[in-house]
Amino acid sequence: MENTPSNIPRRDFLQRATAGVGAGLVLGVPNILRAADAAPSKKINVALVGHGKQGQVLFDAMKNIPGLHFQAVCDIWDYNRGAGVGHVYAVEKQKPKAYADIDEMLATEKGLDAAVIATPDFWHSPHTVKCLEAGLHVYCEKMMSNTIEGARAMVVAAEKSGKLCQIGHQRRSNPRYRFTLDQLINGSKICGQIINVNGQWNRAVKSSQDIAYKPSLTIKPEVLAKYGFKDMHQFMNWRFYRDLSGGAISDLGAHQIDIFNWFLGAVPKSLYATGANSYFKNREHFDNVMALFDYETPQGLVRAFYQVLTTTSAGGGYYESFMGTEGTIKISENSSATEIFKETSPAPKDPTVPVDPNAKIPPLSWDGLVQRGLLRKQAAAPKPKTEGVVDSRVSAPPEGFALPGELNKPPHQPHLENFFAAIRGEAKLNCDARHAFLSEAPIYYVNPSALSKQPIVFTPEQLSV
Amino acid sequence: MSEECCKNDSAECCKGEAPAECCKGGGSKECCKTDCCAALANIYGAGLLRIWLAVRAIQTGLEKYAGLQGSDKLVNIDGKPNDYGLTEATQVKEYAMSHYHGVPEALMKKFQAEPLMNLKMLALYDKVLGPALIVLGLTILLGIATRTSLFLLGLLYVSLTFGLILIKEDSGVAWLGIHMIMIVMALSMSKYNRLCVLKKW
Repeated sequence: MENTPSNIPRRDFLQRATAGVGAGLVLGVPNILRAADAAPSKKINVALVGHGKQGQVLFDAMKNIPGLHFQAVCDIWDYNRGAGVGHVYAVEKQKPKAYADIDEMLATEKGLDAAVIATPDFWHSPHTVKCLEAGLHVYCEKMMSNTIEGARAMVVAAEKSGKLCQIGHQRRSNPRYRFTLDQLINGSKICGQIINVNGQWNRAVKSSQDIAYKPSLTIKPEVLAKYGFKDMHQFMNWRFYRDLSGGAISDLGAHQIDIFNWFLGAVPKSLYATGANSYFKNREHFDNVMALFDYETPQGLVRAFYQVLTTTSAGGGYYESFMGTEGTIKISENSSATEIFKETSPAPKDPTVPVDPNAKIPPLSWDGLVQRGLLRKQAAAPKPKTEGVVDSRVSAPPEGFALPGELNKPPHQPHLENFFAAIRGEAKLNCDARHAFLSEAPIYYVNPSALSKQPIVFTPEQLSV
Repeated sequence: MSEECCKNDSAECCKGEAPAECCKGGGSKECCKTDCCAALANIYGAGLLRIWLAVRAIQTGLEKYAGLQGSDKLVNIDGKPNDYGLTEATQVKEYAMSHYHGVPEALMKKFQAEPLMNLKMLALYDKVLGPALIVLGLTILLGIATRTSLFLLGLLYVSLTFGLILIKEDSGVAWLGIHMIMIVMALSMSKYNRLCVLKKW
């Protein structure tokens, strides 16, 4: 089950990563890896590495995928380990082997094909590298690592091993996102020229509290120390610590900034971020972060704003909004938060651009897109009151549209299906390590920018392997 | 029933007939008429309480097997099913073993963090809660050991109350308190139970 590594020369990679047009090629078409000689009918033997909250989310998505055998569960916490064994037993009616230590698992288990890694961020890179070197294909949760060096090591290990390494930016396999990019943004160009991007993840104080645990389940101090945790609280709440995680911008923002880069087909040229511990004053990571990214895309300059707030759920939860001259697509993994707006007054054509009388693409007709089934029309927004208008130039509310369909599976399932299909040689990875790195790299600089209160203009070396 | 009336004045009121037979004939004395009406009301009351508590328990148990299933039908684009896997937005509620969740996930996480909660018992409780509600609801509805079934249902609600006290869900505790009052009423009216498969216990 060897793959074909993406042999992009370093120089070419740098040029493409930093040039707007080239970045589109790199970020927009990441499906370059797939296992070549897998037998389609073969059952894939999977090791579950890390069976905490996210590990269980992934397992719940995987149990719906046929052709998998969960051979081993590895977690340093016996509570999680026991839960993992129970979850597998409930599906397969046979218990998997349980391990506290990944080295012991890799040394003992024979016949493993793949590892699904959902350990804390600072363990992603070591665990991924170990599994790749042991000859396993790897699905690893995002963020790739808590450090950019760790992420680089994952790319190198994946390409050296020739094994598949999919990073868990699951939106890249979500049919709603793929359809939106292919058919609406690139195909029908309903946004016109995208000028601004706006994304956020707002979460209430109540949902941002420290994770509690039963004292009777406390892991022995020597075991915690062996695996890099100073105490049980840090083990449960590793996301709040700078040495173990990138904080909220990494936990939540990474998914959405990845969408910025993927949809724009570019990586940012520069970044300015700000953040503070305004509420959770004893945490190492900021409880709110705001970041501005500047992009040079094939269609022009784009500014993107992203905020992650852990102290309010107001403002619409989590979404990514692509705002263009003719329309806006506000997309979210939560389908109820997805909305599409048509500008009531499309932007006038640039008079300096000559009209092509032989153009095969007719002028954009939103009604035509509805008739074709590419959009659904929403009920008209109420007309604004004419009284009390503060500015005569207030725009009329845009018309509302919606995506034509839904995803009827757990959100992580298509991405995992893509991973296992790639192992069988039936598909190409939607988010292999190299392309995930290219998209994640700017995120590693958000906290440094916020801490130093300085903008960062990226160099090619900063964003490359 | 008019047992009290007939016990006190059986000769005059019921003339040796069984209370039910006495009332069936309309009874000749005022006391018998009054008790006959009261007895019927008690029978109806006991029956309604049983039915309410049974339906409440059965349906609550069944809902633990309920889940939403998204449509598998692909939406058409340009007249043919799309290649992306976009499905129709409709979601259908369905009941299946695979949807079973004894303790709701959000509550489960809170319980797991409680020092007074034994995790093994919690896991067991999660498994048996739904079936227990259904079984007790059915036994109460059918009148199988009604008093014992009501008592067990009361214990089940006590256990739920304990959990809700731990996680400070006061409104839920009050809600269960109403259920407990209804169970006690049903128990106190159990002598008026009719249509019972097994009257014993």
